[in-house]
Amino acid sequence: MVLPPVAVVAVFIGFPVGAAIAYTLGRAGGPNSTVALLAQRQHIVHHGVTTAAYREVLGNPHVRADLWATVWVTLVTIVVVVLLSWAIGLYLRLSDTRISRIVSALSVIPLFIPVVIASYAILTFYASQGFIKTLAYHLGWHSFPTLGYTLTAVAIGEIWVNVPFGVLMMSSGLNSVPNALIEAARDSGASLPRTVRSVLLPMNVIPTVIVATFTGIYVLGSFTVPYLTGPSAPNLMGVSMANFFSAFNQPQQAEVMAMIVFVLAVGIGTIYVWANVRASKRASITS
Amino acid sequence: MTDAQTPAGLLIDRVSKDLGGRTIVSDMQLEVHAGELTCLLGPSGCGKTTTLRMIGGFLQPDAGAILIDGSDISRLPPEKRPTAMVFQNYALWPHMTVFKNVSFGLRLRKLPKAEIRERVENVLELVGLTHHIHSYPARISGGEQQRVALARALVLEPKVLLLDEPLSNLDAKLRVRVREDIREIQQRIGITTIFVTHDQDEALSLSDRIAVMSGGRVEQYADPRTLYRHPATHFVASFVGAMNFYTGTLGGDGFRLAGGAQVPVDSLSSRTPGEYEIGVRPEDVTVSSNGDGGAEASVVREIQRGHYKELVLDVGGDEMRAFVAPDLPAVDRLRVRFSRGVLYRDGVLQEQSESPVAVR
Amino acid sequence: MSAIEQQGVALGGLEQAELPVARPTRRRMPTPRAAVLRGLGFVFVVALLVFMVGPLVWLAVRAFSGIWQYPRFWPSHWTLQWWRTVFDDKSLGRSMKLSFEFAPVVTVASAAICLPAAYAFSRFNFPGRRVLLVSLFATNAFPKIGLYISMAGVFYSLNLMGTFLGVVIVQLIGTIVFMTWIPTAAFSAIPRSLEEAARDVGAGPLRVFFRVTFPLAAPGIFVAMILSFLAAFDEAQGTFLVGIPNYITMPTEMYTLVLNYPEQAAAVFSILLAIPSVVLMSLARKHVMGGKLAEGFQIR
Repeated sequence: MVLPPVAVVAVFIGFPVGAAIAYTLGRAGGPNSTVALLAQRQHIVHHGVTTAAYREVLGNPHVRADLWATVWVTLVTIVVVVLLSWAIGLYLRLSDTRISRIVSALSVIPLFIPVVIASYAILTFYASQGFIKTLAYHLGWHSFPTLGYTLTAVAIGEIWVNVPFGVLMMSSGLNSVPNALIEAARDSGASLPRTVRSVLLPMNVIPTVIVATFTGIYVLGSFTVPYLTGPSAPNLMGVSMANFFSAFNQPQQAEVMAMIVFVLAVGIGTIYVWANVRASKRASITS
Repeated sequence: MTDAQTPAGLLIDRVSKDLGGRTIVSDMQLEVHAGELTCLLGPSGCGKTTTLRMIGGFLQPDAGAILIDGSDISRLPPEKRPTAMVFQNYALWPHMTVFKNVSFGLRLRKLPKAEIRERVENVLELVGLTHHIHSYPARISGGEQQRVALARALVLEPKVLLLDEPLSNLDAKLRVRVREDIREIQQRIGITTIFVTHDQDEALSLSDRIAVMSGGRVEQYADPRTLYRHPATHFVASFVGAMNFYTGTLGGDGFRLAGGAQVPVDSLSSRTPGEYEIGVRPEDVTVSSNGDGGAEASVVREIQRGHYKELVLDVGGDEMRAFVAPDLPAVDRLRVRFSRGVLYRDGVLQEQSESPVAVR
Repeated sequence: MSAIEQQGVALGGLEQAELPVARPTRRRMPTPRAAVLRGLGFVFVVALLVFMVGPLVWLAVRAFSGIWQYPRFWPSHWTLQWWRTVFDDKSLGRSMKLSFEFAPVVTVASAAICLPAAYAFSRFNFPGRRVLLVSLFATNAFPKIGLYISMAGVFYSLNLMGTFLGVVIVQLIGTIVFMTWIPTAAFSAIPRSLEEAARDVGAGPLRVFFRVTFPLAAPGIFVAMILSFLAAFDEAQGTFLVGIPNYITMPTEMYTLVLNYPEQAAAVFSILLAIPSVVLMSLARKHVMGGKLAEGFQIR
């Protein structure tokens, strides 16, 4: 029963990824031959492998700038999304008022909106004639910077897109902490902030890790948000990969960049898997 | 709270609480003496847990006040109250060891490390758990978790200890042992204790006094013996222990059941003739096989209960339950009389001012 | 974890169910600190409102705007002409129709492929189970563009380029993770004793699945299907790469539109494109908020 999805993944993801790895190492035969036929600036070997493509891409200062931009936007997005999710999740956990229900509804809105549209909306909102500039103008701040087509706009877009998942994950985690555990801490003399630090925080490491890792992986591989809201250069790796492929006709270089992003994503993914395995090991000991 | 070695009294003064548009506790009045263990007993939804949570500070009363040692604590948050609670499911923090769980409150109070250690060890010794000091809660049994929760509450030396159905998750045998442990520890340190339960057996066996609650009110507040022998209302009589109830007429020669049977009664809470509802404990139904003037009864069923036997009888169309000696020979027909009965009118105990006199 | 679960269950108890967590005492007269906190809370909510909803409102207004000069908050002239422009454009209509063909096909195919696997993952503890679950997740970790580029090679050799099936496969790949993980969690949440009880009263395994297991897992499966539908509906890059020139869906069209049409037409198109998402997510809202989504992401 498990076979069909695994087979689909193996044939249409596993195999292409394997081919991509071979291609980046200079092997242009087999499944890579079609792509390699028309490509430019390829580093090909017929025996063994070569790291020439990697050296070229990593030596390219523009790519390096894109890589740093990617890392920065990813880190900023992770930090902001985790903080926002915790703030909103805690608020929803500890209070049940009309305002908290509004906050909960607001925070999942992005789930309802396709990313293409969200990116476009965010671009116009922060553009040179967008709402934020208009507001700043009316408040007398005429020199307010235009955020549209900057990495800041990219980060804003990524945060916007990732907040619902974070909030759902954190509220689910926080809601699974029984009231009695919180009350027991209050009863022992802990203030609310201290209760959060000593009970809620240590009991929600896993959801936090999940939010951080999935957000990170999403941002690393994202294309739509940076493509629509970001600057032409330096932009995130997803965009420059597409440029190298379609605009410069250099698929090998694009694949090398994909590999670099993949390695970063796998690094983040390892944290996720490790945290999960640790948690379920602990659970299996105790039950 | 370190100064709270002397026990303190608790006063619940005309407290009311509405939740979700429903009145859960209404105009409740209760005074608990220092060092006393009081049970709040009642069916689920009677307001006992809500009352306990108001004492602990997890809920604010809508009206009235809660006083400990004469000072009003009703507006204090839980962390500022001299109370400590043992939660129904113990509420041990799963990510902390037994030591961390018990010492949490002491660490919050910034006590010196050595003192924390000493006090935790003392209290764990009191509950007999020193060997589990570094275990995680999930690694120890339910009864042990229970005792950790108790230790965590006691280590803060609260003026009032609150227990919220602390035994409901233990199996029957352990429950009896742990409740004896709790009673023993409570009496040893003489702490004022409120114990919430729906189990009348539990309440009867460990309380100094029991407050039977129903519909957000205290139906009766008395020591276990009084509660059992003189239940103030029909509700208390039926909730605490088994009780046969019949409507009928009290006359000079006994009580006439609605079905027509005339049952002689030896002792009654009131002797004024009239229409009543009579409550008779099964152990107060006396049976005899030779005719000594009791009402005629046929045996419907016999149930062996170990140290006694329960008979289900038919007395002129009314069902009656009687507890008799286990070795009573099986017969089809008997005669019954009531050795003791309590009379109710409109659900309220009818009692003459002097204590009931036995007319043997 | 068993202790936690027990406590969670106990919270459902009658008396405790409605009781919120203790909060600091609210006094009749707010202290200055409480007032400041409440003020900060208000600012936070307003900021969140602007951050979350502002861009969407700004875009929606644009779809009806004739003349809108900076720095005005509202257009000075309103019009519906952009709606006419969009509806008159034949290719846009065609792309809408295509989008609504692909997404259901992909969702159904994905469900057919993944649901049996989800059931197996939840019920049988076979060797490599967790490794496989995690390796499905790897489909998310490899950047899509890189994947599509090298997938193109495979597609060429299988003659899938520019075909309906090719587009379905590309969109399907983005749905596999949801379609496996979320139903796996949904199946796992059903106590085995419920199935055993049905077997006990004489139901065969298939009947047990369709009469007991499936209905109980339905909310989770429903969420997974909606998310898959939307993932397929919104997929642009892969569809573009594989589908051109025969199959241009709405989101692919959107990329060109943003660059080539006036902003207002793009705004109109955005609203149209957002309608199915909003409708479908509104249907699933209760279950998504209820934790069905979050449950799927904790590997057990």
